[in-house]
Amino acid sequence: MPTKWVLHWHPNAGSTANSQILNDISQCIESINGVRDGRWKAVVTFYKPIVRDQAMVAEFPRDFLGISIPDEPYKYYFVVRGQRIIVEADVSIQAIMDKLQSYKLRVMLNFEGLQYRLGDFRVRVGKVFPSHSESMRGIVMEVEYLPISSIEQSKQIMKEFLEIVQETLSNKSLPGQFTHTEPNFAEYGLSDQYTSQHAAIQYSTVMAQLIASSQLAQAGRN
Amino acid sequence: MKLILNSIGLDDWKKNSGELGCCSIVFLLRNAILFRRSFRVFDYGMASRVEGTFHECVVQGIIQTEHVEALEILLQGLCGVNKERLRIHELCLKSSPNLGNGTSEFRLICDLEQLPEPTWTLRHIGGAMRGAGAEQLAVLVRSVGESKVSKQALRLFNALGYRLDHELLRVGFSFNFQRGAQITVTVSSVNKMLKLHAVDEAVPVTPGLQLVEVTAPASADNYTEVAAAVCSFCEYLAPLLHLSKPGVSTGVVPTAASAAASFMSDGGGTTL
Repeated sequence: MPTKWVLHWHPNAGSTANSQILNDISQCIESINGVRDGRWKAVVTFYKPIVRDQAMVAEFPRDFLGISIPDEPYKYYFVVRGQRIIVEADVSIQAIMDKLQSYKLRVMLNFEGLQYRLGDFRVRVGKVFPSHSESMRGIVMEVEYLPISSIEQSKQIMKEFLEIVQETLSNKSLPGQFTHTEPNFAEYGLSDQYTSQHAAIQYSTVMAQLIASSQLAQAGRN
Repeated sequence: MKLILNSIGLDDWKKNSGELGCCSIVFLLRNAILFRRSFRVFDYGMASRVEGTFHECVVQGIIQTEHVEALEILLQGLCGVNKERLRIHELCLKSSPNLGNGTSEFRLICDLEQLPEPTWTLRHIGGAMRGAGAEQLAVLVRSVGESKVSKQALRLFNALGYRLDHELLRVGFSFNFQRGAQITVTVSSVNKMLKLHAVDEAVPVTPGLQLVEVTAPASADNYTEVAAAVCSFCEYLAPLLHLSKPGVSTGVVPTAASAAASFMSDGGGTTL
């Protein structure tokens, strides 16, 4: 599988992600000859344990996520970030988890938007919003370099491509920028060759960053 | 032995051919409710692939180890396909006491025969189909959920509050063929591990006895036809073993020895 970076929009202090910023980002991608070639969607679900004694809830992980990604429609991924666990399963695992009645959905977040092709790169830009509401909680961007599967070997070219994108975005004077934090994949037992499990981990990392940004923004407002 | 029996809540031992023999028979039959060669893909098309749950018709029985070779010859002739080797490490996980509205359990099944590395499947057995129609059938029809999972699944479910209840190693062979339904016949010895996860040091739970299971996937629309196909096939195995619903113990067939001798000398059965 080609290597991919998943980045989230880090708004400047006092600003939040909104549709206008998303439109501006899309226009920037198109201005550097990005050719629109479809839509994409990913879903991240936070689970919480069903416990008989609420005092014992701390026994169970608070960061248990289920993730579906656009490149693998028949797969589902579980991540427990705190313990660096990633499991790939068939999409049917969700029905089994329902039957087990031990965990339930706490919140589901959709990642949706447009995808573009730029030479050897594929770029996906989209908004993040809860399943029960259209209110935008963030913006993400996927950058995929199609010829290479080695994470290490693709680092330099990904960095250079991102610099071009950031420079184009800076011309619009947008109140924020995309940031990329590469997870330590080795801690999850993964190798240098990029797989869909790497992608799921990146989405879980982006989720954590979006939550942290949101909490910071909330603290600032208070 | 008692520990394992207690752990699966066994409480009805039939006096038949000695207490240990009874324990062995009933243990095998009870425990076999939870087993199938789970990495078989029964393709019901996209809907089933996505849903991952289906119905399954199942009967089981026991056979003495000395007659397994004759059974293999018979099955080879009946099925017309080659046997597949079986070496399955099966871990039964149960929820910890505070988790969930009630106790939940499932199996993690590791296929040790797969190369280059073992594959894992999560298997959840739902309830048996109820009602007069289902109860009149000679097979058990139950709901099953299955999903392939990657190798950190055990670690994941430990982190989520599931504990290892018991583990087994099943060694044997299976035949998978089409005859009115997609039928799988599995013949295996059930082995326990003396140390945690030590599959290379497993010992038979019931030396001298092996478990035979016949399964076929079904849907809510066709389970009677599938059940009929399974029953029809099982009649061919009657000289060597009795097959019945899980939980209904029928013991070994008294004439199995002579039937086995016959099959060994003939070298095969009827090709369908």
